[in-house]
Amino acid sequence: MSHSQKGKVAAGGKGAAKAKKAAGGKKSENDREDTLQAVILADSFETRFNPFTLETPRCLLPLANTPLIEYTLEFLAMAGVADIFIYCGAHTSAVQSYILSSKWHPSTSAASPFNTLEIVKTTARSVGDALRDLDSRDMITGDFLLVHGDLVSNLPIDEALRNHRERRVKDKNAIMTMILRAGGLGEHRTKAKGITPVFVVDPGKNRCVHYEEMHPLQAHKYVDLDEELLKDHKDIEVRTDLIDCGIDICTPDVLALWAESFDYEVPRRHFLHGVLKDYELNGKTIHTEIVDDRYAARVFNLQSYDSVSKDVLGRWTYPLVPDSNLVAGQSYKFERGSLYKENDVMLARTCKAGKKTVLGKGTSVGAGSVVSNSIIGRDCQIGKNVTIKDAYIWDNVLIGDGSHVERAIIANEAVIGKSCKIQPGALISYKVGLSDNTEIRPNQRITRAKRKRDDDSETEDEVPSDPSIVGSSGHGYEFRDAEEFSDDEEAAFHSSLIYSTQHLNLSNASISTLSSSLSSADEPSGPRSRLSSFTSLSDDGDNEGFHHDAVQGILDTLHEHGDFDSAKLEFMGLRLSNDATDHQIRRAIAVAFSKHISQLVDGEQKTEASKAAASAFATGGAVPFLKNVALSTGTEEDAVDFLRCLQKDAVNRGSGPLVLAAVCQRLYEEEVVGEEAFLRWWEEAEGMGEDEDVEMKRVRAKTGVFVEWLREAESESESGSGSDEEESEEESEDE
Amino acid sequence: MPSLQAGYAPNLSFYLKSLKAQPVESSIENLISLLKRRQITNSRPCAVATAHLLLQVVAKFRWTNIDKLIKRIQDVGRRLIEAQPREMVVGNIVRRVLGMVRDEAKEDRNEDASDSASNSQSDRGASHSGGPPPTFSPLRFSTTDDSDSTEATGDDVFEGQSHGASRPPLITSHTSYAPAGGLPPQKSMFQLLSANPSPASTPPGAQSPQNTSNLNATSLAHRITTSTKDLKAEVIEGIEEIVDELDQADDRIAAQSLEYIHSNEVILTHSSSKSVQKFLLEAAKKRKFTVIIAESYPNDHEATHKSVTRSISTDAEGADELSTPKFSKSLSDAGITVILMTDATIFAIMSRVNKVILATHAVIANGGLIAAAGARIIAKAARVHRTPVIVVSGVYKLSPQYPFEFESLIEYGDPGNIVRYQDGALVENLEVDNPVYDYVPPDLVDLYITNIGAHAPSYLYRIVADHYKTEDINFDKPELQ
Repeated sequence: MSHSQKGKVAAGGKGAAKAKKAAGGKKSENDREDTLQAVILADSFETRFNPFTLETPRCLLPLANTPLIEYTLEFLAMAGVADIFIYCGAHTSAVQSYILSSKWHPSTSAASPFNTLEIVKTTARSVGDALRDLDSRDMITGDFLLVHGDLVSNLPIDEALRNHRERRVKDKNAIMTMILRAGGLGEHRTKAKGITPVFVVDPGKNRCVHYEEMHPLQAHKYVDLDEELLKDHKDIEVRTDLIDCGIDICTPDVLALWAESFDYEVPRRHFLHGVLKDYELNGKTIHTEIVDDRYAARVFNLQSYDSVSKDVLGRWTYPLVPDSNLVAGQSYKFERGSLYKENDVMLARTCKAGKKTVLGKGTSVGAGSVVSNSIIGRDCQIGKNVTIKDAYIWDNVLIGDGSHVERAIIANEAVIGKSCKIQPGALISYKVGLSDNTEIRPNQRITRAKRKRDDDSETEDEVPSDPSIVGSSGHGYEFRDAEEFSDDEEAAFHSSLIYSTQHLNLSNASISTLSSSLSSADEPSGPRSRLSSFTSLSDDGDNEGFHHDAVQGILDTLHEHGDFDSAKLEFMGLRLSNDATDHQIRRAIAVAFSKHISQLVDGEQKTEASKAAASAFATGGAVPFLKNVALSTGTEEDAVDFLRCLQKDAVNRGSGPLVLAAVCQRLYEEEVVGEEAFLRWWEEAEGMGEDEDVEMKRVRAKTGVFVEWLREAESESESGSGSDEEESEEESEDE
Repeated sequence: MPSLQAGYAPNLSFYLKSLKAQPVESSIENLISLLKRRQITNSRPCAVATAHLLLQVVAKFRWTNIDKLIKRIQDVGRRLIEAQPREMVVGNIVRRVLGMVRDEAKEDRNEDASDSASNSQSDRGASHSGGPPPTFSPLRFSTTDDSDSTEATGDDVFEGQSHGASRPPLITSHTSYAPAGGLPPQKSMFQLLSANPSPASTPPGAQSPQNTSNLNATSLAHRITTSTKDLKAEVIEGIEEIVDELDQADDRIAAQSLEYIHSNEVILTHSSSKSVQKFLLEAAKKRKFTVIIAESYPNDHEATHKSVTRSISTDAEGADELSTPKFSKSLSDAGITVILMTDATIFAIMSRVNKVILATHAVIANGGLIAAAGARIIAKAARVHRTPVIVVSGVYKLSPQYPFEFESLIEYGDPGNIVRYQDGALVENLEVDNPVYDYVPPDLVDLYITNIGAHAPSYLYRIVADHYKTEDINFDKPELQ
């Protein structure tokens, strides 16, 4: 029955692919040759698992002593997928050599259940790029499964697949089915913490009509629904309880849509949101398959690593549990109380290996040690009187006598000295050595990874060990990724093992949740720290994507001394596709300029603020760009708003006050902002008196001189300033 | 389930279809993965898959002497057992095949040494007299003669004869209905030692005439097509007989039902076992009785409900087990009064029950059994009320192993069947164990009904000895040998 469906599906396909697919359909009339294809996105294009992912790709990180991608491939094998494409970005060679030596590659292993398995290396820097690349390769011939390389699931997808096909036969515009796991309304460890995906679903048709993401620091907790939706659909469910496991059943049309919208980067917030919003335009519908039994979840950050590990040990993922010994050579046995032990584990008589614990082959635990709720890899040596609680310890780790490890992750070949204390949330990366009596503070991240010196040089430097952290004879230094400098809260959400909002300032409006190509390792610290601006500025949390992209675009132009005319086109495109407000545009531009200038000021050259500002404004077309885009209406309110954006952003910069003053001066000189606006902005700020934020006051202090000068100039020649303003307005209207 | 059939997910029928086309090595690995992923579960599917796989292994393996073949089978068997040690039938089937190969080899050598060709010829004649027309045997001999002449060495002639003589599996399969045909008494010894005693051989009359004629026809066909001198063919034939046995075990068990179920009795059973259902349906053809089914929540309750209520039409599509004949009536359709109840009420109802019939997952050599979770409570309650407990099981489920830790045989399944995963607080704070099986000690069981007759638990060791060679019992554990 599936053949005939497939034939029809193919006939419904679009243009070029039509003939090919129809042929494929015909071939399958005789025997069931219509195979299922799947695409695994093995690169996450994120840095949430740093410092571990500096050295290993996410999909090879061990979850319950089995690399993550094994779970994903088991899921696909269970579903009966025949052809697999694995998209890798960073660490392609590691993934490749792993797959080639595993049982999965059909050319090297008789055990492979797949007909073909192709590893595609891509230079893509986002999921969107990868899918656009996939589209251009023309490898996908029919419906395919799109999954991430960190999926753990035991769902049988046959039913979802059948429903998808039935819908497809009825309506060729039903291009995608998302499989979502119901997670209940209460607290749930596996539900995404922090950012809550909101799916608006028409339950009758299983159709997703709107998608948004909410985060706890968002000022308003509303989802904006188009009233048309309420007219068109009799029932609507707004669901925040769903665990998004990232399993999508896609038709080739999905790839075409990705290709058409070059600015989509992530599958949900960009693609899903965008396609649903453009329903009127393209008529494509996306459906949901909400399942409420079996298991499906992604390991998308360290907290979910923790929760999915617990689920695996609790056997929720059955049969994907350690004692199924999925990987060749494993020999786990299950003992009551969820103790999974491999052969050749040496336990001292007086040690206690408690519940929900995994012990890998060759591991020894010394006398008096207590291990509970922990996963310990192979060939680890745990000394005497060690306490290990809720911890994840990978392979070949040495832990000295009397140490205490709690809720931490310790990666391969790390050496922990005697009587060390590792506190909750600590991440200790590969080969780090800690000397005796070291204490690791909560959430500290220690690595030995080589670091790229600067964004422009490709050489990697060994970073000297930091004795204050790892002790006199230790190896390693504290890892801070770029965003750490500016206390990015996205990192706080995703890159710590323990979820907490305590240290976050909840009065702030909103934060960025975006983690895309920008975050790859060789980026300068610049684009990342810009995210900090969200913390203080944004009050429209739903459009972080726009802000992020916009700022990045302008920054690129400024960095490269490019031409603003082309930047403007791109910018306007972005604006339209995201439906950004004028305020957002101003904010993005303000942030980009102030960021660029402060980089110049704080950078190695130590440019003077005024010169830096001059050089920024000297970039081709910068001035008209500011006039036409940032202050398109030319009203005084807009100019004031723009200044306020600048001021707020400057708060986060080391040289903020200087930059603000320099930029104000330039704005005035280039006749972008009239003096009326300056004065009004200043008076409003002054008017706030005691209510004004101390930081804000500090930042604008330096600009005071300039404003004073303005006032004097105004009092000297009132008519002059008036004409100035008129001129600038006229100019902006001309263009 | 029909959904599985329509989709891509591999299962037993996909696997069996793929066997012929794939190279042996990938078939082995494939079965290992399917077992590990629990896409082939439960005794019969596992047994069927194992038997078919071994058939391919033997058929496609080039071997020069019998030891190599044994080693190869052991090797494959070890890997399969390692993949899923709790599906004990996998090991059972491997051991059965091993024992059968050893027998063939022994026969082979014996016949070489002693000139008993005439003896066996007369045996054959005797067995033929029961069923097939005697004209077949000249035909068969002529084929052997032909091949002998083509191969043209004196040794070969001898060997050909000896092979012809060493056909215990075939002969026994014929003798199963042969008592009427006057089987020579010395044959029974032969049967006892025979590696693959035909399921029907022991209980006379346990077989329906229909079955015998089928079996007869198929084995006859084998006999004509396969050259008798080929040891490989013998082995393959032996495995095919095991497959046949798997197919027919339930029918043979069901055929005995009238001896155990009487009119107006109240029978208590549990879970949705096909064997038990057939047993009951067979009895329902002649008698009226009441069946109380405990739903065996949470792992099997849906299937149990279905077995009570499903209509004929849906069942025709619901082909979940490939090689077993479809079973098209629900219990209530067959005129049985069916009462479905929760597992918790077992003890309360036990005083009114005349007999308890249990299905098994595996039977252990000591007479104990591994059965769906809940079986032990039922057996215990029955003991308190002195209600007889009858276990229905094919011989293929009888394992020669005697595990010292019964805990290790019990599989723990998906806790999601007990606690909904949506319930975050419970998931976080509870440890949920979902044992799929129970161990029922032998003293709680009164009688085993197998496809070769009914036995007391204490007698099972004897059946084990008949079916498995001692050297094969621990073949998967080199350290115990």
